[in-house]
Amino acid sequence: MDPVALEILRNALTAAAAEMDVTVWRTSRSTVVRELLDYSTAIFDGNGENIAQAARIPQHLNSMGAGLLTVLRDHLPAERWQDGDVVITNDPYCGGQHIPDILAFRPVFVDGARVAIVGTLCHHLDMGGMAAGSYAAAATEVFQEGLRIPPLKLVKAGVLDEDILAMMRQNVRRPDMLWGDLQAQLASLAVGEANIRRLAARTGADAFMAACARMLDGSERAMRAMIARIPDGRYEFEDFLDNDGISADPVRIHAAVEVRGDEITVDLSGCGKQAVGPINATLASSSSAVSYCIMAIADTEIPANAGCYRPIRTIAPEGLIVNARHPAPVANRVAVTHRLATTILGALHQAIPGRVPAAYYGVSYVCSFQTINENGERGVLVEIEVGGSGAYADQDGLSGYTFGMHNNFNIPAEMIESEMPLTVTGYGLLPGSGGAGKHRGGLGLFREWRIDSAEAIFTANLERFTHRPYGLEGGEPGREGRLFVTRDGERTAYGSKVNNLRLRRGDIVRLETSGGGGYGDPAARGPEARARDVALGYVEV
Amino acid sequence: MEPFIRIGIDIGGTFTDLQILDERNGALRSLKTPTTPEDPSIGLLTGITEAAGRFGFALHDIRLLLHGTTIATNAVLERRLAKGVLLTTAGFEDVLEIGRHGRRDIYGLRPHQEPPLIARDRRLGLPERLRADGGVEKALDRAAVEAILPRLAALGAESVAVCLLHAHVNPAHERMVAEALRATGLPVSLSSEISPEIREYERSSTTVLNALLMPVVGNYLDRLERRMAEAGLVARLLLVQSNGGVCSPDMAKRQPARLLLSGPSGGALATLRMAESLDRPNLLGVDMGGTSYDVCVVRDGAVTLKTQGEIDNLPVRLPMVEIRTIGSGGGSLASVDEAGRLRVGPRSAGSRPGPVCYGRGGTEPAVTDANIALGRLDPRFFLGGAMKLDQEGSRRAIAEKVGAPLGLAMEGAAEGMLAVTDTNLAAAARLSLFEKGLDPRDFALLSFGGAGGLHAVPVAEELGITEVVFPADASTFSAFGILHSDIVHDLARSRVMPLDEAALPWIEEAIGALRQQGEVLLAADGVPDTDRRFAVSADLRYHGQAFELVVPWPAAPDLAALLGAFHALHAQRFSYSNPGAPVELVALRMAVTGLLPKIHATRAAGLGADRVPEPREIWLGGAWRSVPVHQRERITAPVAGPALVEEEYTTILVTQGWHLSPGPEGTLIARKVDMKEAV
Repeated sequence: MDPVALEILRNALTAAAAEMDVTVWRTSRSTVVRELLDYSTAIFDGNGENIAQAARIPQHLNSMGAGLLTVLRDHLPAERWQDGDVVITNDPYCGGQHIPDILAFRPVFVDGARVAIVGTLCHHLDMGGMAAGSYAAAATEVFQEGLRIPPLKLVKAGVLDEDILAMMRQNVRRPDMLWGDLQAQLASLAVGEANIRRLAARTGADAFMAACARMLDGSERAMRAMIARIPDGRYEFEDFLDNDGISADPVRIHAAVEVRGDEITVDLSGCGKQAVGPINATLASSSSAVSYCIMAIADTEIPANAGCYRPIRTIAPEGLIVNARHPAPVANRVAVTHRLATTILGALHQAIPGRVPAAYYGVSYVCSFQTINENGERGVLVEIEVGGSGAYADQDGLSGYTFGMHNNFNIPAEMIESEMPLTVTGYGLLPGSGGAGKHRGGLGLFREWRIDSAEAIFTANLERFTHRPYGLEGGEPGREGRLFVTRDGERTAYGSKVNNLRLRRGDIVRLETSGGGGYGDPAARGPEARARDVALGYVEV
Repeated sequence: MEPFIRIGIDIGGTFTDLQILDERNGALRSLKTPTTPEDPSIGLLTGITEAAGRFGFALHDIRLLLHGTTIATNAVLERRLAKGVLLTTAGFEDVLEIGRHGRRDIYGLRPHQEPPLIARDRRLGLPERLRADGGVEKALDRAAVEAILPRLAALGAESVAVCLLHAHVNPAHERMVAEALRATGLPVSLSSEISPEIREYERSSTTVLNALLMPVVGNYLDRLERRMAEAGLVARLLLVQSNGGVCSPDMAKRQPARLLLSGPSGGALATLRMAESLDRPNLLGVDMGGTSYDVCVVRDGAVTLKTQGEIDNLPVRLPMVEIRTIGSGGGSLASVDEAGRLRVGPRSAGSRPGPVCYGRGGTEPAVTDANIALGRLDPRFFLGGAMKLDQEGSRRAIAEKVGAPLGLAMEGAAEGMLAVTDTNLAAAARLSLFEKGLDPRDFALLSFGGAGGLHAVPVAEELGITEVVFPADASTFSAFGILHSDIVHDLARSRVMPLDEAALPWIEEAIGALRQQGEVLLAADGVPDTDRRFAVSADLRYHGQAFELVVPWPAAPDLAALLGAFHALHAQRFSYSNPGAPVELVALRMAVTGLLPKIHATRAAGLGADRVPEPREIWLGGAWRSVPVHQRERITAPVAGPALVEEEYTTILVTQGWHLSPGPEGTLIARKVDMKEAV
């Protein structure tokens, strides 16, 4: 296939992933999917290598391939996949990331050959387990975190397995939402399948597969060229997680990034041992964060696909927090991947100074609420908030702005209040939370929820309460995150992990997220920028 | 004598286009005049005066002036906006700055973010709170609003936006604010009037845009009306809105956010008009210019609308013509990156320096260069010969910048650039249809805009479309659409409730109230009873979904029919439905239309009919070959592809396997030859 035809096919594949994306968005039911947009869609070649992505969540996108490869290698070999099958799993130890994320894959056959596999990943509102949202902050085994679905066929040759669905529905807090969002995934796969079939039928199966291989090679080449421009050397950095929710001890995250020619090795052997609590990551999650960081520092636009991973090697011995061993709990695996990102970027700053910003807020601030009315009716809300971005070498950080790796949206207060007995009593920027510097870190946020139901159960998986987002080149760290509950006018501070706290009508939960780190000596900040900060109330006076 | 001239005006970045209709005999004429960006009303008046001189009518003969304008759009893009203040619920002052978090460039570490339209020190909180059902949790005290007045003065406010939580359900607090502000004489925009829909950020964004545009659009219209009066123009002025309808200057001054998509909606209106006159109820309109490609869909004889759009990444929650725009046009630049990818666009050469062939210092090859290099555009007849182009320059640049890195000869590289462009265009068109669950094969393609003619047939081929329409006067086609628009007001009532028997009383009451409101508006517009139309639709979704489908309301309140239509539409768009699952009503909408008299237009004979172009060598399908070139005005019988058709502002490529014939209304229609028939 000539380079022109190849480019045409690449654009068509990206468009197909985008059409799958639109389908999930418009048909999903739960606020976590339809407002927060916590889902992704991607296209893989027949062997499970990612060839095209929709612009959604890189944390998902760069781990879905690893998940699919695990499914194919250890559970459902390719020869057992038939036309019209849909294979799903959410098991972190069988290719998933954490229990709420259901991966769904569907093969595409043309001329009898499996030319591609289309995939979607949705973060479901609740998959059961000891806390609403399947986000228990005190789990010590994956068995407590919710219903585990090993890789299996939910749809066999086009026929939905009602028994499996019934079993799933029985084990979750909001079966209607689970089924609604699952249908969105199935609809999206159908759209993707039809598109790929149309494209591959036109080129022929063999040419299609050859073209996919060349796309991977092309991205690999571009990655290698980009890496070759980074000075060779070994760059180390460390950052810390506050604690695992069980003990109070901080957990070390350490990365030694070694650049040699056109390859990068990221050695994570210096990371802490796997935790008792749920801040563990499987290798698929950790590798995804590593890939993201290297892809994000690229100084040219490189089509994101599995070819990008080839020049990158991750070393992560089993039993560490970055490669947890079964049955370690993993609900808050995102704490590890965020901290890996700040650590690896910190190391890369030494290699390519000026291109890497100071630390961003560095955590998905996940709060889940289960409301219980007098009549026993229950509702579930999962909120994911963000903080400030780190300052850049030449400009201030952005306030309340999502890091690309997890790219979550927020949920409108009006939407929450229309559907749940909760009132959002405030939502705004936190003056003074950005790290000082020649360029100031972005501001963190506050968000407050009041319980309007008789009772509620609250769980939080937060970070950056003690270890603040670092500054660079003399810039100061961003302010730490905080959590308070006010009852009858009395305010109590909580730590970063809260598991099934019983609340009652009128209680107010207040979350404060961390700001970003500053860049450069604060004394070098210009008078105009200072005056502006004061006028706009970005700093405390 | 009664005035008898109707003029449609489309003001673009470079030209102001006019179409002039004589209502007595239907004679239709067109004219182009340079746009005057510092004050577009100057160019507009110049154009009208020129037209009067050239076509022999007096300014007082003009009855109706229908005006498409980019004044609001450009003011936002260039941030030439009023100094505004936002009043909102205390505790939510930062919603406008925080937005919805999400980003498009997911891999970049340096995202670009514009500062909010109203800075933090100009967003003031009011002590009040409504609940989701419209109930009052904390009543707003009028004294609290009055206490804010001195601050508005101190901040030098020129306009005030008011967006309170849940005001789309209960507007009482916002109205109280408006009442208290009346004494200041400041223009005020209430979210409950501008965009009464759920989601506080999107509603705030829309309301703030409206507030900041009020002085800008108000000043422009005041100036225009003054100039018209000075020139002795007594014509009635109407402005084109984003929804494809027109409105009075008074409405445009109060709700200028409704003009944000005024420009491109002219193209959609023209597509609709063509769909009617050609009897093609499914028509895909594509407008390709120098930098962008706009796609609109006419389906079952109506332009498809959407309930939310955006400008410069700022959400606008208002009904607007659904137009998909991609950055692909004649000026789109080609390059080869480290991965060996041939990329075309979205970077554009613009008009300065422009493509290499313009000879103005451009060094990177653009799509126009590829067309010139392969002989598809005649370097001596660009813009009717007004501009000579450097064909060798185009060829050198393509060979060097695209051919060498890909290991292709110049011809292969140029053809590759065009192939990538055509598939990008087709993908945009496909996505526009896909989102509505439509199949391209059920559509004909309508191609307009200066750069479209060379790409339309290949794009149709890619989409599986077998008929392509090329309208006459393609370069003033939007003004033609504007000429035939009607007055439209979009009214809505938003309230989330289960759609069942219990909802019917509220619905009937709401429809009655909307109808009454619509009658008042049309009466103010001077539309007689017989020309008033009221179309009701309901925004419906399955319980839990965030997005609604707009379902037409049946003539009689028939719940079963409405639900059936919803399930069917859901299945069509999203491949499944859940009959029996609970359905929610989110909003009732009423499109209130005041019909303007329809006149059948007949086009005056074209110019340039005496030119007889020579056949020319072009590269097509991997080889140089001689193809016939036709002057558009001289085509009276079918032309078989491959062939080129030239006219003053555009060139049409007809490929092998297609026939081009003259159609009604001065159109040319290309049809794919049925292979079975051909044998």
